[in-house]
Order: sequence, then C-alpha cells, then structure tokens
Amino acid sequence: MATLSLRQTEKTYENGFKALHGINLEIADGELAVLVGPSGCGKSTLLRMIAGLETITGGEIMIGDTVVNKIAPADRDIAMVFQNYALYPHMTNYANMAYGLKNRGYSKAEIDARVREAAAILQLNDHLDRKPRQLSGGQRQRVAMGRAIVREPKVFLFDEPLSNLDAKLRVDMRLEIKNLQQRLGTTSVYVTHDQVEAMTLADRLIVMNGGVAEQVGSPIEIYEKPATLFVAGFIGSPSMNFLPGRVADDRSHAMFSDGTCLALDHDVEAGRDVIVGIRPEHFTLQQDGNGPLKAKVRMVESLGAETLVYLDFGIIGENVTLRLQGTHQFARDQELTLSTIANQLHLFDRETGKRI
Amino acid sequence: MKRVQFGHSPVPYLFVAPQILIILIFFLWPAGQAVYQSFLLEDAFGLSSQFVWFRNFEDVLSSDSWAKSAVFTIVFSFIVAFLSIAISLFLAVRADEIIRGAKSYKTLLMWGYAIAPPVAGLLGSMLFNPLMGDLYILLNSMGFEFNHIQNGNDAAFVVILIAVWKQISVNFIFFLSGLQGIPKSVTEAATLDCKSAERRFWTITFPLLAPTTFFLMVINLTYAFFETFGIIDVSTKGSPGGTTATLVYKVYVDGFLGADMGSSAAQSVILMFMVSILTIFQFRFIERKVHY
Repeated sequence: MATLSLRQTEKTYENGFKALHGINLEIADGELAVLVGPSGCGKSTLLRMIAGLETITGGEIMIGDTVVNKIAPADRDIAMVFQNYALYPHMTNYANMAYGLKNRGYSKAEIDARVREAAAILQLNDHLDRKPRQLSGGQRQRVAMGRAIVREPKVFLFDEPLSNLDAKLRVDMRLEIKNLQQRLGTTSVYVTHDQVEAMTLADRLIVMNGGVAEQVGSPIEIYEKPATLFVAGFIGSPSMNFLPGRVADDRSHAMFSDGTCLALDHDVEAGRDVIVGIRPEHFTLQQDGNGPLKAKVRMVESLGAETLVYLDFGIIGENVTLRLQGTHQFARDQELTLSTIANQLHLFDRETGKRI
Repeated sequence: MKRVQFGHSPVPYLFVAPQILIILIFFLWPAGQAVYQSFLLEDAFGLSSQFVWFRNFEDVLSSDSWAKSAVFTIVFSFIVAFLSIAISLFLAVRADEIIRGAKSYKTLLMWGYAIAPPVAGLLGSMLFNPLMGDLYILLNSMGFEFNHIQNGNDAAFVVILIAVWKQISVNFIFFLSGLQGIPKSVTEAATLDCKSAERRFWTITFPLLAPTTFFLMVINLTYAFFETFGIIDVSTKGSPGGTTATLVYKVYVDGFLGADMGSSAAQSVILMFMVSILTIFQFRFIERKVHY
C-alpha cells in the first residue's frame, strides 16, 4: 500500500523529442488512476517510466516515500499487466505466476499458497498446469493479472490490458478489474485510449495530450467541466459539438454567424470570440417548432435504447450530433427545432481553447 | 459424373525433371556405386575386382586407424558445435543489447559467413605457419611449446579453431534473429520479475531460443562432420599421422590417395549409416524437449 507521486516528471528522448513536459500528479493510497489520451500523447511512456522500463530524464517519481528514479524495475515493488499479456510461453501458468516470487526468494510453500489464492480469485484453478498458448485471450489476461496479484506489490500498472480482447469480454474484464482493484485496495495506474473504459474504471482520470496532463479529476468532474477544448472533445461519446460564436452585447447570449442566439449562464465579457460546446445529449427536441436552433437531418443511427441523429446546422456547423432517448423516426432532410439549457452549455475561449 | 483422369498433362513432370535428374546423377547413383564398391576388392589400378561380401567392412571396423579417426570425429564435432554455438550466442546477446552502432557490429560479425571453408583453412594455415605465422609465433613466445606439425593435440587445436571461427557468423545470424523474435514485452515483464540479468537469460531468453539452438546444433554437427573437409585439407591434411583426419577426410585419403576403393566405399557406407542414426536421434529425442 502506497501513494504514488510524480513531480515535474519529464521525458526527452535521445533524438531530442520531448515526450512528456513536466507531469505533476499525486495518486492516493488505494486509488485507481486512469491515464487516457490519444495515441502518442505520452501516457504509455509515463507508465513505463513508473515501471522503470524507460529512464526518467527530469523530475522525480516517488512510490511511498522513496524516490525510485534510480531503482531497478524489479526493486520498485510494482507489478505490470501488459497489453499483449507478455506471458512466458515456455512456462506453465503456475510457473508464470510463481516466477517473480521465486526470484525474490519466497519459500515454496508461500509461493504455492499465493498462487493458489490468486488462481482461485481469477478462476484459473483448472488451468494452472497448462501453458499460456492453451488458453483463450481472456484467460491469458487473467494469468497476467495473477502474476501481478501474487506479488502483492505497492502499485499495479496496467498498460491497455483489454485492447486485445473482443468487445463483450472487454466489458466483463473491465468490471472484473474494477472489482479486483477495490477488493485488494492496491494503488493502480491504468493506461487506455478508450474513454468508456477510462470513465468506468477511474477514481481519478488524467486526460493527456501532447505530453501534458490537460486535466486531472474525477470522471464526472471532467465530463461536467472539461478544462479545455481537447478534453471536452475527447471525453464523452459521441463527442461534444463545437459551434464557433461570439458573446452578445447583453452578455447573456451567444450569437452565431447566422443570427441564432443561445441563452448563456456564464460570467463573460461582451464581444468575446468563443466556442460553444454542447453535448449531444443536452439538446432538447421541440416538437412544436418553438426553439432557437433549426437543423436538417442528415443521417439517423438507431441503437434501440437511444437514437443518434446527425444534423446540419447550416453555416454554424455542418456536422452536429444529437442524442435522443428511445427510438425515433426521422426522414432525411427533415427540419428539426432544438433548444438548449443555459447551464449545460460549455464556453471555451476561441484562441486559447481554455474553459471560460 | 466424375471422370477418373488418367491422361494427366506431362508438363508438371517436365518441370521437376531437372531436379530429379540431379538427384539421380549426383546423389543416388554415387550412393549406389558406393554400396556396390564396398563389396568389392579391387587392385590398385582398378583393372580387376573381386566380390568379397563384407570383408571390407570387417577390415574397416577392426582397424585401429579407423577407430582413432571415428573418436576424433566425434570429439571434434561436439567441440566445434558446442564452441561455435556458445560463442555466437554470447556475441548475439551482446550485439542485441547494443543500441548505438548496432548495425555496423552486426555487419562485421556476419562477414565471416562469406568466406569459403578452403579459404578459411588457408588463412588458418598461414596464421600457424612455423616460419611466418603470427599465431604460431605468438603462442610460442608466450611460452607454449606449440607445434602442430608434430603434436596431434596442437594440430587438433588449429583445426578446431578454424572450424569454429568459420561457423560463428552463421550461428550469429540465426541467434540474432531468434533474439529479435522474442517479444519485447516478455523481456520487459522479466525485468520486473527478476533483477539478475544472468538469471533472466537462463530462465527466459535461453529457453525461448531453444528451437534456434536445436536447429543450429543439427546444422553444426553436420557441418563439423562433412563440411570441415576443406579446412582440414588445406590446413593439416590430417597430419600428424592421421590424428586430425575426420571420417570424411579418411574416406578421401584411403580412396583417392591410398587407391583402396573398396575400403573407402565401405567407410562411406558406414558414414551414411551413422548420419542417418544421428538425424533420427536428434529429431526423435531432443526435439521433444524443446519448447516452442
């Protein structure tokens, strides 16, 4: 059990490429922190630096009270679950789990007890004598988790552990990981590019982009108050709609180039260039045709529980997504009238992309 | 109705015909000749011959010089195979770890592959030339009384040195590609599980290289058995007193220099038999212990 602190952690590669620009992060004991971001944002690099697989070129990483910058990976008391499982193909699943303990000098009895306990938790009892290649993808990932659990480390590191699994299994394993982490209460860092995975798993979400932590907070905080345009567009599926506009002189409306006005509830100066962010689920369909926004239906996707409608707002925005509960029938090019609620709108500065 | 076809086109047979001809003329016919000749006793000029059943075999198997050569061949082959595998594995592991200038290291280590065995033999015999050979002079100046012209062990050392050196580059290439075939995440997982790099090598890397090692063992034993002919012929010619003559070299010496075709043929038949046994043994017993 330990906290994990990153202080101005930087990574510059030998060719001069700066992958991480000073990351500051405090992860509390027992917390599950999720690093999420598009590929190339530095999230995996950061995880590998915590593990000791990449050198730290600036700042420090602390596990508990120890600075681990110069400590060998095997001595950091962390365990990692890899994307492609990284099981030792020539060993049985039992030996795979026992390997780390054996090298740390645990007694045979202790190793056996720990492996059997982990196997019971992960329902692997019947597969211990087999080789990894005789198992399915989900079972292999369980063995990889078992290998991490038996070590009883201070920190678990997960590097996109579910991305090699099929969709159904991914949802099951996601729940299983969450359960397991809560049950063991081990501080964990989880890397993913899948924002649904990130939202569902995280106690704390770290949205990364271009080597910078754009926002750190609880999933709901980030969903409700995204700090930047990037975070707003990345978190939430389908993504938030962005409409460029200007704050009207009365400061209580946003005006768009075609004269449409939306009521605002923000403290913002008049005449400022802004981008208005509206989540697809925050439009209200006005059946009586009485509302500020007029749009044409371009395409409809019916998912059963909800319907996604792709709309054309004309010059304001040609590709706007609307999410409605239940099933709806719309004709192509049908005119819809929509309204919004002032406190559900997000305002971003058009130049800096920062939340207003 | 399906028609049973008898009139196949002859074209496919034409395509394989050259290969079949080559096998017939250069492999099966000489092999048959060897078996036939092994039952004959011929005079030195090949003018008359007599069918003697297994007398050639009895003579060969009961002769001291053949037994000596057989022992030398086995010891020589295992030493050459072991050393060239061990050294090249070491080099490949080290070259794989290098990040800067890796390409030039690898290219340099592969160069030896391009050298033909007789050329390697020639290089070796020049290095050990008693009048001007650098290694000969070096070893003697270091206090070893090195004389491969008269001392059988010293001569064996020379042949083994050349044979191993020649084979390292081939093994190196295979080991390097074998090492690169090990998923990076597996080695990384091992770094988290085991602190000692040496232990990691023996418990993870080496077992994962087992298929490569097994394959190379077969290749290297065959190499030491047969392909070192060129090296021996150019460097020691089996001297002193046949101590560095492998079975293959002895076949050549007895048949083509000694003109005893019957004995030479009998030896090569025995050799064929030994190689078949060796191959069966390797694939039956050793391959089972290899983890794929």
